Amino acid sequence: MKDYVASVVENKKIAENVYEITFETQEPVPVRAGQFGDIAVGGTHLLRRPIAICKADGNRITFCYQIKGEGTKTLKTMKVGEKTNVLMPLGNGFYVEPEEKKVALVGGGVGVFPLISVLRAYKAEKEISAYIGYRNKDAVCGVEEFARADHFVAVTDDGSYGEKQNAVQAFESALQNGYRPDVVLACGPTPMLRALKTVTEREGLPCYVSLEERMGCGIGACLVCVCDKTNGKKARVCKDGPVFNASEVQL
Amino acid sequence: MANLSVSLCGVTLKNPVIAASGTFGFGREFHELYDIGTLGGVSTKGLTLEERLGNPVPRIAESRGVILNAVGLQNPGVEHFIQHDLEWLKSTGTAVIANVAGKTLDDYESICAKLDGLVDMIELNISCPNVKSGGMAFGIQPQSVEQVTARAKKGLKKTPLIVKLSPNVESIAGNARAAENGGADCISLINTLTGMAIDIERRKPIIANNTGGVSGAGVKPVAVRMTYEASQAVGIPVIGMGGITCAEDAIEFLMAGAVAVQVGTANFTDPYAMPKIIDGLNSWCDRHNVKNVSELTGTLQLHQR
Repeated sequence: MKDYVASVVENKKIAENVYEITFETQEPVPVRAGQFGDIAVGGTHLLRRPIAICKADGNRITFCYQIKGEGTKTLKTMKVGEKTNVLMPLGNGFYVEPEEKKVALVGGGVGVFPLISVLRAYKAEKEISAYIGYRNKDAVCGVEEFARADHFVAVTDDGSYGEKQNAVQAFESALQNGYRPDVVLACGPTPMLRALKTVTEREGLPCYVSLEERMGCGIGACLVCVCDKTNGKKARVCKDGPVFNASEVQL
Repeated sequence: MANLSVSLCGVTLKNPVIAASGTFGFGREFHELYDIGTLGGVSTKGLTLEERLGNPVPRIAESRGVILNAVGLQNPGVEHFIQHDLEWLKSTGTAVIANVAGKTLDDYESICAKLDGLVDMIELNISCPNVKSGGMAFGIQPQSVEQVTARAKKGLKKTPLIVKLSPNVESIAGNARAAENGGADCISLINTLTGMAIDIERRKPIIANNTGGVSGAGVKPVAVRMTYEASQAVGIPVIGMGGITCAEDAIEFLMAGAVAVQVGTANFTDPYAMPKIIDGLNSWCDRHNVKNVSELTGTLQLHQR
């Protein structure tokens, strides 16, 4: 973890309301799949914006973000050559055990971007199947990345791109057709993760989910971004997560 | 190189910059970024007798120039702190200020007694919105400020007591005097201002607790004014805080009457905010030929009206 001075090398729209920003740092950033960065957006914004790292290529770090509030609106206006500070890499990230050969990725909405980092990190050594859900065809993005998976199914809520299904339904269909992954890695809206947890627990599949929460410090000190664990304790999404064993957190 | 050290109730701080409670945990996370032993002090996450799980999420929101939070005193309990964090925090070389809260007067006395002699100072949190006494927080009325200070003081034989004042009161000077009358060795202010931020799409407050404590750059003028009024009202030292982002901000508080300052929200904007403030104090003093930073305290000259 380090507060890198990062200059924008690209900041472009990739889908309806979704942008991709790439920064260049002075030195390479050691990133594990599923980790995030806390981006200073400047102006009157006192909080940084925690965003998943989508691609990490030495000293080029790419984040994808949905325009949601004032902070991401400001981030959208950053021009090539502008500099800011990015505290990274943060959080634990996804970790695939050596014996886990078949990896299922289940993602929805902006949750698809940390899964791209998993795909890039593990595609050489694992058999990866991706089940990705979007709201509609205008929201579809990252397809060229997921197309490099061994199997890739894209679906939309309204059927305007791929089947009219959500990501969990697409994953379930694969299970019904005999697919059985060694581990399931997921990120997306909480209702999606909840539905997925029901499926993976029923099927006895290990499942890890990446959670999202409003954050303060981003490094585990302020206890703002907690989630509830099934053992009655709290965990810090920024420091203990954002990736948790689905069976250990309440969704 | 100016002399940045300050003396507070017999405790010498390396410099007047203290991490504000609740923004810094017990220091371990920030120590991964820089040596927190270089700080004047660390005021710990608010401690209670028993572990507390805090409020539901979301616990934070942002508004222009400020943030709102309602963490609700999540902490592992004072015994856990003493057993797992205290020795480590002391070993860094920073002054350890234990921030404590309670539900009852007895709680305040007991928790102070447990920490007496173990830490450099104790800071009484009497203004957290979740700390209620007969439907009213201890920190609002001067009578209860004096009462809770006196009870906390009963638990203490060695460690100096700081009382942290709420700004959500009728008279800050009156409450500062009440703390002094109750036996406080020092006061700190301001705690957060109570506020609300609304998600207009959902027509609901952003924070699950509905209201939250407002802090950050935008509250600074209120905090400076209150630091001035409180320091005029009492003879005990004052620690100022509220929206400090840079050395120049800290100097405003010192001139208004503070002996030391605390920095909270700025740690979120820039995790290196405090080391930068310490460096900035040093160079400001050098540029202005100030040999000891302590000379700045209370040097404000009001306009004659």
